[in-house]
Amino acid sequence: MTGELQTERFAEAARRVGAEVVIVSGATEAAAYIEKRAAGPVLLPAFPSGERLGLAKKLSETRLDAAPPGRQTAAQASAGISGANFALADTGTVVLESTTEEIRLATTLPERHFVLLDPRKIVADALAAAPLVRRFHDGGAPSYLAYITGPSRTADIERVLTIGVHGPRELHILLIEGLSDDPLEI
Amino acid sequence: MDKKRARQYRARIDKALASPHLQGTLHKFADAYLASREAAFAGLDFEELRSAIAAMKDDVRERREELLAEFTRNAEASGAKVYFARTAAEANAYIVELARTRGVRSVVKSKSMASEETHLNRALAEAGVRAVETDLGEWIIQLAGQRPSHMVMPAIHMLKEEVAELFSKVTGCEEPAEIVHLVQVARQQLRQAYLDADMGITGANMAIAETGGIALVTNEGNARLTTTLPKIHVALVGIEKLVPTLEDAARILQILPRNATAQLLTSYVTWIRGAVPCGDGTKELHIVLLDAGRSALAESPTCRDALRCIKCGACANVCPVYQTVGGHVFGHIYISAIGIILTAFFHGLDNAAELVRACIGCRACVAVCPSKIDLEGIILSLRETIGAKEGIGAGKALVFKKVLRNRKLFHSLIRAASLLQRPVTHGERTIRHLPLFFSSLTEWRTLPAIAEKPLRDQWDDIPQQVAAPRCKVAFFGGCLNDFVYPEMGRALVKVLNHLEVRVSYPKKQNCCGVPALYSGDSETAVELARQNVAALLEDEPDFVVTTCPTCTLALQRDFVEHLKNDPQWAQRAERLAAITMDVSRFIVDELGAAGAFRGLNETVTYHDSCHLKRGAGIWRQPRALLKGAGAALTEMTHSDRCCGFGGSYSFTSHPDIARAILADKLDAIEKSGASCVAMDCPGCLLQIGGGLEKGDKHIRAAHTIELLAATMPD
Repeated sequence: MTGELQTERFAEAARRVGAEVVIVSGATEAAAYIEKRAAGPVLLPAFPSGERLGLAKKLSETRLDAAPPGRQTAAQASAGISGANFALADTGTVVLESTTEEIRLATTLPERHFVLLDPRKIVADALAAAPLVRRFHDGGAPSYLAYITGPSRTADIERVLTIGVHGPRELHILLIEGLSDDPLEI
Repeated sequence: MDKKRARQYRARIDKALASPHLQGTLHKFADAYLASREAAFAGLDFEELRSAIAAMKDDVRERREELLAEFTRNAEASGAKVYFARTAAEANAYIVELARTRGVRSVVKSKSMASEETHLNRALAEAGVRAVETDLGEWIIQLAGQRPSHMVMPAIHMLKEEVAELFSKVTGCEEPAEIVHLVQVARQQLRQAYLDADMGITGANMAIAETGGIALVTNEGNARLTTTLPKIHVALVGIEKLVPTLEDAARILQILPRNATAQLLTSYVTWIRGAVPCGDGTKELHIVLLDAGRSALAESPTCRDALRCIKCGACANVCPVYQTVGGHVFGHIYISAIGIILTAFFHGLDNAAELVRACIGCRACVAVCPSKIDLEGIILSLRETIGAKEGIGAGKALVFKKVLRNRKLFHSLIRAASLLQRPVTHGERTIRHLPLFFSSLTEWRTLPAIAEKPLRDQWDDIPQQVAAPRCKVAFFGGCLNDFVYPEMGRALVKVLNHLEVRVSYPKKQNCCGVPALYSGDSETAVELARQNVAALLEDEPDFVVTTCPTCTLALQRDFVEHLKNDPQWAQRAERLAAITMDVSRFIVDELGAAGAFRGLNETVTYHDSCHLKRGAGIWRQPRALLKGAGAALTEMTHSDRCCGFGGSYSFTSHPDIARAILADKLDAIEKSGASCVAMDCPGCLLQIGGGLEKGDKHIRAAHTIELLAATMPD
């Protein structure tokens, strides 16, 4: 499958489960997109692709405050921002290597989650991803890997689908060409 | 049989049947589930996927020692501590002791059926540790002091008003019964619990031997918080969750959410391997591997396939009994078809004894099982085990052992009954009312009278004019056809004669044995298999045709199974299985005569009998015959949902549930707008025909063969 088709398939599947998918050209557009949607302090943990992009600097030029690291502040943050190691086209899933706790706090506790993804890192499906997942497990190092497909949801009361029970209510996927082509890097 | 246990079980059924909202909720869900599941599997080959899962799981069962060792080695290498618990008590003791030594006061839990199985919360509470369930459904039922009524949707039986009442007690404010609001209340209330907890407890959907990691499949995000915030993480994992490789895990991910909730993937899949960072240090990860009956299950040749289960809950979603009474009746801790089997091995035969009889045997679960488990077959074998242990009831035992096995006695008793019934038939073919304590049997359906002259006694007088027979065909009538609906046999002769086929009726044929088998008396079933194999093969027919799909299954499947280890009989049973088929398949597939009939000018809807569609794989053929004959075929909704007959299920074991299932079927038939409902099973005909007549619905019920015969001149 060509890259473009794969991206289209990914975006369609992600939107179907309630994620927003947008194409942005770089840090300035990404920061503007986040500024428009976040309602308070944002949590931006350190991650390689984000650092290379210079997102922290661009965000500091917006009206948004950076939330200081820590559990209680993460719970109060309006949004968390992370990269993605790779993604699965058929289900619209982003995959985050979240072994460091900062990534987990930023992607579980705040109301919104913004994910930066290079569309070149979209693979077909979970089966195609298995060899990649294996590479995270090389050696004996501990690891915490998250497949995220749309926002948090529940249907536990009368089977009515309701968004945002324990995790983020909004999931925004920002496609940035040229961000990173390394699935081992977030 | 245990009378007190049976009484309590009856009381639970009555309570469930008196809750219309429960049935409404479960039906609404089941209808939506079927449609969305189909969409979720679009473009995928379900049969191929589930065959792969079954093969993988069987391999895991065979190599479980080796894979457990591999998992443990890899998990420990990355900093996890692995404990193997032989029993539920050992698992609980380990976790309680861990909590004690670490000074744990509060625990957050994400959904884990294994912890329900071991009653972990109770063990923690007794040790002074407060465990808070964080999955919304689990939290609701924890607040209500109940147990889950579904493996995936634990609070499916509750209304939002009941939830609002529970939440109001927690917050001290009056919480409105609005679902979005209630979800928000749960978010707020549980947020602090994660931050305060000293320990997080989860289950696992998979334990991957290759990596020593576990995978959690969730939607709400609570498992992510439970495994991130507290310093200690305990994963309680049944050893059947082992998979060899990441590719195997990916295959389970492909089928589990699709089959469980019709999602392509859940919101979150969390892969955890080893002791990950936590706060200023490292998390303490304990993996408690739970046996507690699983090894025993692996050693049971008749039941071991149940270990393939990936806990999707689909067997409940499609089960007509579950839809009628819910998981608090049709389950113990684990619910529905798989629940019956797991209960027997994890919680003891006694807890499963009533449940094994609650299955109506429609095989709807078998059709959707993602691990290709023959749930009905296993339940039947358990019924046999329990029948042997507790007895099947003195009355039944007498009938099966002394009467059924003696064909002549059986048949003369039925002939006598035909005479004895006269005071209640009033000369009619159906009985609308029965006196005294039998009256409940005709409250909701009329019953057919036993024929004055059974088919076997009429046979030789039925004229057969076939100049040059195409092949030699023997007819296996089955009890209902023989003694209740002999006209069905006459119709069959007429139809097959028209197609140049002469039919014989081997007189030594006896009951197919299913009533005995389904009641747990396999000895009688085996004896009947021998009698029938001998009788039907005596004249060396080319084909044996049937009009009853349950008999078909007995001849095609059960006899082979019963006699496979008997060198004298095994081959003959195989031969009989190979030439036996339902008459509609015979006409359409063997004779190629789907278009040989004309003049059925009626709007007809078709009911798929459980054993015909899911047992013998026949549903196109009868439709082809009806359409070919000119009928306007209009499909009812859920044409393949059970009608509630189930043989003795609707007479003696669970008539109240059978009645409720029938009501659904009658409703679907009426809404189809047809003036006639066709089917290919005399049991379904008894149930549906009786229900239509009792309700004075002006829709007739008929066997397809009768409709075809009626298009021909006498």
